Amino acid sequence: MLKTFFKTGFRSLKRNFSFSLINISGLAIGLSAALVIYLIVQHELNFDKFHKNGDRIYRVVSKMEFPDLTIRNSGVPYPTAKAVKEETTGIEEASQFITTYETRVSVPQIGSQSPALFKKQKGLIYADENYFKIFNYEWLAGSSQTALKDPFQVVITEERAKTYFGNIPFTEMLGKTITYDDSVNTTVAGVVKFFTHNSDFTFQEFISKSTIDNTGLKEHIGWDQWGSINSSCQLFVKLNPGVQTSQLTKQIASIREKYREKNKENPKEKDQTEHQLQSLGDIHFNHDYGAFDNGRLAHKPTLWGLLAVAAFLLLLGCINFVNLTTAQAAQRAKEIGIRKTMGSTKFQLIGQFMTEAFLLTFVAALLSIALAPWIIKVFADFIPKGISFASLNQPHVWVFIIVLILLVTILAGTYPSFFLTRFQPVEVLKNQIAAGASMTRKTWLRKTLTITQFIIAQFLIIATLVVSKQISYSMNKDLGYNKEAIVYFNTRWNFFSDVPDNRRFVLLDKIKAIPEIRKFSLAGSSPASNNTSTNTLKFHDGKKEIETMVEKKYADSSYFDLYGMKMIAGKPLSNSDTIKEYYINETYARFLGFKNPADAVGKFMEGDFKVPISGVISDFHTKSTLEPIKPLAYSSAAKNSYTIHLLLPPRGPDPDSWKNILTKVELAYKELYPDDDFKAEFFDETIASFYKSEQNISRLLKWSTGLCIFISCLGLLGLVMYTTNQRTKEIGVRKVLGASVTQIVSLLSKDLLALVLLAFIIAAPLAWFAMNKWLLDYSYRTDFSWWIFAVTICGMLLIALVTLSIKTIRSASANPVKALRSE
Amino acid sequence: MLLELKGICKWIEQGGRRNFILKDINLTVQKGEFISIMGPSGSGKSTLLNVIGMLDEPSEGSYQFLHENVHQLKEKSKTALYKRYIGFVFQAYHLIDELTVYENIETPLIYQDIKGTERKAMVADMLDRFNIVGKKDLFPTQLSGGQQQLVGIARALIAKPELLLADEPTGNLNSKQGEEIMELFAELNKGGVTIIQVTHSEKNATYGSRIINLLDGHIQH
Repeated sequence: MLKTFFKTGFRSLKRNFSFSLINISGLAIGLSAALVIYLIVQHELNFDKFHKNGDRIYRVVSKMEFPDLTIRNSGVPYPTAKAVKEETTGIEEASQFITTYETRVSVPQIGSQSPALFKKQKGLIYADENYFKIFNYEWLAGSSQTALKDPFQVVITEERAKTYFGNIPFTEMLGKTITYDDSVNTTVAGVVKFFTHNSDFTFQEFISKSTIDNTGLKEHIGWDQWGSINSSCQLFVKLNPGVQTSQLTKQIASIREKYREKNKENPKEKDQTEHQLQSLGDIHFNHDYGAFDNGRLAHKPTLWGLLAVAAFLLLLGCINFVNLTTAQAAQRAKEIGIRKTMGSTKFQLIGQFMTEAFLLTFVAALLSIALAPWIIKVFADFIPKGISFASLNQPHVWVFIIVLILLVTILAGTYPSFFLTRFQPVEVLKNQIAAGASMTRKTWLRKTLTITQFIIAQFLIIATLVVSKQISYSMNKDLGYNKEAIVYFNTRWNFFSDVPDNRRFVLLDKIKAIPEIRKFSLAGSSPASNNTSTNTLKFHDGKKEIETMVEKKYADSSYFDLYGMKMIAGKPLSNSDTIKEYYINETYARFLGFKNPADAVGKFMEGDFKVPISGVISDFHTKSTLEPIKPLAYSSAAKNSYTIHLLLPPRGPDPDSWKNILTKVELAYKELYPDDDFKAEFFDETIASFYKSEQNISRLLKWSTGLCIFISCLGLLGLVMYTTNQRTKEIGVRKVLGASVTQIVSLLSKDLLALVLLAFIIAAPLAWFAMNKWLLDYSYRTDFSWWIFAVTICGMLLIALVTLSIKTIRSASANPVKALRSE
Repeated sequence: MLLELKGICKWIEQGGRRNFILKDINLTVQKGEFISIMGPSGSGKSTLLNVIGMLDEPSEGSYQFLHENVHQLKEKSKTALYKRYIGFVFQAYHLIDELTVYENIETPLIYQDIKGTERKAMVADMLDRFNIVGKKDLFPTQLSGGQQQLVGIARALIAKPELLLADEPTGNLNSKQGEEIMELFAELNKGGVTIIQVTHSEKNATYGSRIINLLDGHIQH
């Protein structure tokens, strides 16, 4: 029986080739989307799920509440770790580690004077000996019991071990020397395997934390400061079984109360900082805290969005199947009638139609597996690096594919099967065509499904247009500074060294000699940049003290001019070695209670010593326009200025003009920093990178809209193919009676276009509502223009009309005699 | 006795009035008969044949087939009954276009859960008997009308039915092909198959042993 099902199924696919093709393409698109999205979601949800007793491991994080804003930081004050270890109960282990950004590593080579040098090694942490007790690594040499106990020890991963020492046995590597930043000499105390599962713990080299005691880093991280919180200073705890997180947070709060620096005048003043426990599973998704410095996070709403896209596309494919199969009912009716008179039961017939649905889905699934590598390539920006075509070959993926095929078969096949097998053989056989027509006359379901498809399609079109409009609005808005033709680069900053490094001043002088460069500045980061440094600043307005988190930035005398930033009040900024005066933004001035920002000039900020406000600068965006403008203060401090900013001439006709200038700058740079790589960034690109997630959403939307329109149009094409076939005779008769091609085309297209229009009427308010809500997230947002709707409906109708014309024009211009003869 | 119809009526409600298609039909068919049902268009011939073939239900009356009360049977047992005892031949052949000649003939056997090897033998036998072995891999559209009807009859006979119901079997054929089909029917009848055919042709009716004339749903005596 099953064999017959498959045989007839295949024949039916071949016979209705164009319908099968439409069905398979629609389903294949949905299935491949589902497949790739499954891989992504599965990958992201599995981060750090493999740790032994992972449900008991937490990160201690900090939350600071200020009247106007909440700041979260994944680190804790450095002394917290020691106090937590000594003074709390309920924890099995606590481990502290300090992350670093890029480190210079040198490894002495046997038989060579100069060591092997690795300029910018990442994944380096200073960890205490408990690190390896909380996180279980596989040890290739050394052991978790002894490693990292003493200063100047290092544990490295297999990968780094091979890079540094080549292919000698791991046990022979123990005791060898690795030097960090030319000053810290360590010996290898262990080699571990890098985590093979998905993990945000991508560290490669673990230096014993006690090493810090003996280096300049001690000053930098605030060895004994309870008031300084830095995200590089991480604390993890492993609770005892059965211990509630609240038990520990209470103890940590009382420790903090005991040690924190209190306001001398008002010791009862509430503490703004609160420590919380973040579960291991939350790290990969929580953007408030981030993983470890610069670790890539996943965004749960995006994952859910992706799942919705997959579901939509699959649904659309299934709708096509239901529509086309029921539309073909008349053709199939005869076969069903005959089979019934031969003694087929209803269930045997249902089995046959389900088999056909299965076959179609199966072919579509094969196609979608073939399409997967291409999709992975197209969506490379969304897809985490760990996913490739090879990821498909995993047992759980195959199970997913099988489940998906069965699910789609049931979803797509059930209704048509029951619908088709309802035919009574007598009716069908008595007068096939009439009976078939009466069966297909009840088209409300098909119409509803088609409308549904076009509601989804047009909703997505509107959403895409709004997102694109918002992005272009954000990027073209007056941000408060110039962004064209500005380039900047960092010079080396070695915080291990106590000797001041003055090479950057020399470099600036050399650059000044390059005639093409219009303006120069040696300052802190650009007005808008990825890294932010905030401090609390106090201001006393005569009645009360106003304490705020303020973003601190460093400028020099030419900085504001170079970036075209406007000064509202005050005198021009003069160069200084350390902070002598503040230039605050309008928002901060207003926040401090000055109705007229200019009035702030001449007032003093409080701190260790009083610093005057010398000027007020016009508001500008330091991040994407998604974020509101926050209080900010500029000052001049050459000591903290390591970034050189350059204004280039407008880009001329010579495409290489900028490149030539930058080559000159690089030459100058290399003279002073022979060991460092020159990496210049264009300011406009930095700004564009703030909108990466919006750009990603936009790209995702564009693709899903495109696919959605494509699938829906396939369905439309199928329906019109079917109706024109059914109405061949009518078309013939009408033509004989004198109808023109246009009249016939409009006759055939009218009904289906009406469905598209109806779908628009439903989709427009839905999209308006949803997208208005989305826009509310933006502090600075574009408005909903009428043309968005006009473009949507006109575009959709045009696409639909073109799709329909593939079939209608041909049948309208066919010779009527032929049509009538064949009837 | 093979079957017996008693007081069979069939009507359609139209505007509150009953429009009779069959009216008070009483008919007994013995095993081995060859009956021709005749009558003008719309006299209810096909409906009567469909009622006998259990494809259609009467509005009133009782129907006994091999001493079973058909009107009391459930759908499932009805299907079981007719797929075991009845074969159908249609005017428009009604072969399944997606299947080859061989597969068309094989289909009823599949629905009767007959084993593959046995099916092969039975179909081969039938192809041989109707002299269409050479055509077994062709699809219906590749055959002439007469050949298609041969396949249709072969398919009706494959499950060795007691009763063969034929609705104008020669209606779409030319006279020579029609004659051949009638000769075949006569032969089958001699072999013991009971046949009921609907026909317009006086000549075809003469092949049968009994003629029933139908007019406006009544049997004319």
